[in-house]
Amino acid sequence: MVALSLLLSLSALASLVLAPSRAALDIPWLLLGTRIVLDDTGRTFLGFSALVWFVTALYARAYLRSDSRRSVFGAFFLATQAGHLGVCIAGDAVSFYFFFALMTFAAYGLVIHSGKPEAHRAANVYLAMALLGEALLAAGMMMASHAAGSLLLADIVRTPLPTAAITLLIAGFGIKVGVPLLHMWLPLAHPVAPVPASAVLSGLILKAGLIGWLRLLPLGNEAWPVAGTVLMIAGFAGMFLGIAFGVGQRDVKVLLAYSSVSQMGFLSLGVGAGLAQPSAWPGLLPAVTFYALHHALGKSALFLGVGVAQAYGARPWVFAGLALPALALAGAPGTSGLLAKWTLKTALDLSWPWPSVLAWLLPLAALGTTLLMARLLWLVSLKKAHAVSPSGLALPWLALVPSGVALPWWISPHGTATGVTTAEAMFAASAPLAVGAVIVWWVIRRGIRPWAPPPGDMLSLLHNNKEART
Amino acid sequence: MTTNEWLPLALLASSLLPGLLIFVLPERRIALRTTLNLAGAGTKLVLVGVLLRGVASGKEYSARFAVLPGLDLALKADALGLLFISLSAVLWLFTTLYAIGYLEGSPCRSRFFGFFSLCVTATVGIAMASNLFTFFIFYELLTLSTFPLVVHRGTDKAMKGGRVYLAYTLSGGTVLLAGIVWLHHLLGHTEFAHTGIVAALAGENAGQLKAIFLLLMTGVGVKAAIVPLHGWLPQAMVAPAPVSALLHAVAVVKAGAFGIVRIVYDIYGIELAASLGLLAPLAAFASLTIVWGSVRALYQDDLKKRLAFSTVSQVSYIALGVALFGPIGTIGGLIHLVHQGIMKITLFFCAGNYAETLGIHKVSEMGGAGHRMPLTTLAFSIAALGLIGVPATAGFVSKWYLGQGALAAGLPWVLAVLAASSLLNAAYFLPVLYRAWFLPPPAAWPEGNILPRGSRETTLLLLLPPLFTAGLTLLAGMLAMTEFSPLAWARLITSREYQTWSP
Repeated sequence: MVALSLLLSLSALASLVLAPSRAALDIPWLLLGTRIVLDDTGRTFLGFSALVWFVTALYARAYLRSDSRRSVFGAFFLATQAGHLGVCIAGDAVSFYFFFALMTFAAYGLVIHSGKPEAHRAANVYLAMALLGEALLAAGMMMASHAAGSLLLADIVRTPLPTAAITLLIAGFGIKVGVPLLHMWLPLAHPVAPVPASAVLSGLILKAGLIGWLRLLPLGNEAWPVAGTVLMIAGFAGMFLGIAFGVGQRDVKVLLAYSSVSQMGFLSLGVGAGLAQPSAWPGLLPAVTFYALHHALGKSALFLGVGVAQAYGARPWVFAGLALPALALAGAPGTSGLLAKWTLKTALDLSWPWPSVLAWLLPLAALGTTLLMARLLWLVSLKKAHAVSPSGLALPWLALVPSGVALPWWISPHGTATGVTTAEAMFAASAPLAVGAVIVWWVIRRGIRPWAPPPGDMLSLLHNNKEART
Repeated sequence: MTTNEWLPLALLASSLLPGLLIFVLPERRIALRTTLNLAGAGTKLVLVGVLLRGVASGKEYSARFAVLPGLDLALKADALGLLFISLSAVLWLFTTLYAIGYLEGSPCRSRFFGFFSLCVTATVGIAMASNLFTFFIFYELLTLSTFPLVVHRGTDKAMKGGRVYLAYTLSGGTVLLAGIVWLHHLLGHTEFAHTGIVAALAGENAGQLKAIFLLLMTGVGVKAAIVPLHGWLPQAMVAPAPVSALLHAVAVVKAGAFGIVRIVYDIYGIELAASLGLLAPLAAFASLTIVWGSVRALYQDDLKKRLAFSTVSQVSYIALGVALFGPIGTIGGLIHLVHQGIMKITLFFCAGNYAETLGIHKVSEMGGAGHRMPLTTLAFSIAALGLIGVPATAGFVSKWYLGQGALAAGLPWVLAVLAASSLLNAAYFLPVLYRAWFLPPPAAWPEGNILPRGSRETTLLLLLPPLFTAGLTLLAGMLAMTEFSPLAWARLITSREYQTWSP
């Protein structure tokens, strides 16, 4: 199974090299008429996804070596991967929906894998929310392709869609992206899944929802001020909710899951802005894509690193390997994170009142991310090594960390790499880090224990109330 | 007699003759009985193949016998009828194989297979009937030939279920007959024709036409299990698994649904039915049934009962597709006639396998069944996901066309019905899959009639039919755009019903 996963990733990477730019392939007899496309956006997503799938498959082989049900995991892993890579290249509504559903249903097997009661519970919450998402999407896609009179995504994005379709598509994919109120499955599913599964869930599967938005919403073609504004507000809410709920967590994987809710907020913000103001979209699309790449590489490296830390303890090389992506997520100078944030910030060329809102809230979010990452490193520093550490775990991870640092610089959108080296950008990036450092110092000195809401926050509160009543 | 006349008769005879012979066959002549059954099923498949080719190229096959002046027994194999006939011919073969395995060593098998063949004959007759009188004859023959199958086990529970079944279907038949007689009185004949036959009466007799429509729909609605006429279906679950499979997928409920299609398209004509305002109430009842059946299914612990309520819900997709004015909706309803058949028969085959092999009858006993019977559970999973409407299965194609048809007809609320139904389907099917695959097996199974043979989970005759039909579920979903799919045939039918539309 691992071999098949590796092969699938390699062939995806090979297709990037071999297939001509904007390649399209029609398979009229498959499903309701399948089209496969490799446009610029698809290429970026396919590229970083295939890389992360490759590394994670190698990692999973080592991680599950002594697991008697590893072949079952491998089968679900392969199916999830096939669905996810398919989402990157689907060019028509039906095959997109097929790949999306394949990924969604197969990932259930990853979440439930350990078989513990909490895994069963988390997996069932995951499935219930995923099914709701699928139902919303099915209705939204039917409306969209009816309005377009075509199944091709290229036709759908050019068509004025009814409000109901836009709403259904935003909400349906929003469940995957982890938009606040639709995010509850995320902090439940991540800690119970095996480490490699959490890595692809957070790093890649959340991005499939983003791809859905990019592929089906009339971004850059039609203005949807209300829907766009709602999505932007949801993005901000996600950023800060993720930080507020995550910063006090004691389980590293729960903290990372909330960090993903927070980071996906930046992407919701970008997509919302493009929806509200189509003129900004040509600049936003590469910025959003680039941010997705940065987060995918960084977050999967962090999850895999947590698994390594569990095995080897907080040794210096483990710590350093975790600090790099953590600094990147916090947007430290010289990292891909700064590049991603800077690109997104410059692309958010919006009308009043957004510039002043952004000027206040974005540094605040960066500060929050700094605190989250500081907490993460602190939690990791407490880890003790296992008696037996599985061999072969560290190598794939150590290969992913530098590629997460280097790759973004290599393929960054034109002109941005020079912008971030200015003194102004350096200062803007350093300030939240410095303030964060001060706060961390103060918290440690005072010995304050931050607030840790139960994973799944609102859902757990509901659940507890129900138990209290009965 | 020309070839075109005897082909429809041969199609009937291919199941009628083996059936009659089997009746007189002694119980112990197993080999001969099996040969007769399979020869009949094989012959029927070949004949269907010939007819499909002919009808696709525009040929007509019909036979007619005068019973009374003005009252003919008339058969005609047209595109719509062949859709239903192909389904029953293919599934009859699988069900026969399954029944041979299922009933191995049990008593009264000659009686069983005799009525089984009669039941298929009646189904084919319903599909080929070219006027309401002929339709009614075969419709009642179906009732009478399925009753002995429902009560086959002869237990008190079976007799009670059988009585309820008979009471419902005979009452329905009476109402249907009343409608047919009334229409015959008004029109002088009831011959089916594309685009309908009653348009000339619409001017002054619109009120009567509406009343007749109500009678006819009530008559066929009983077998189609439209709420509130569905009470017999869950009761009939006492029948042996192959009978339930046939009842739910091909014979009884499908005959009712097919009746709805015939009456709307070939008696009233879709355009007249729309202008008389008959489609909106039909859509409303179909939607009500879809949701109600699913809600009731949620609360059934008995696996076959859960499947039965699921049928109540799913068959009304066909009626819904018919009620959506427009070719896309029509296609959606027609393909679901086939798609629901192959998916639901798979589920009943699998339910039978669980019961026979492990003694599992309840959803709550299903824990770990997937570990003990992986192939059966795989087939069950494919069919269940198909009914939920997961893409790459037949069910998705149905739902996609129904949804698109609803939007084309300007009824976006139907999407909400479809979405709710999908979620409810998931809510009553996924717990079954969850238990079977993800819960540990019990220390001992409730009871086992069939011991595992070597590495095989159950006998081949029980295992292969559900695997085949599950495979068909995937093929119909993935290859819907090819020439040989149910979708392609439904497009052909639709292009003949809507004469101004080409697919």
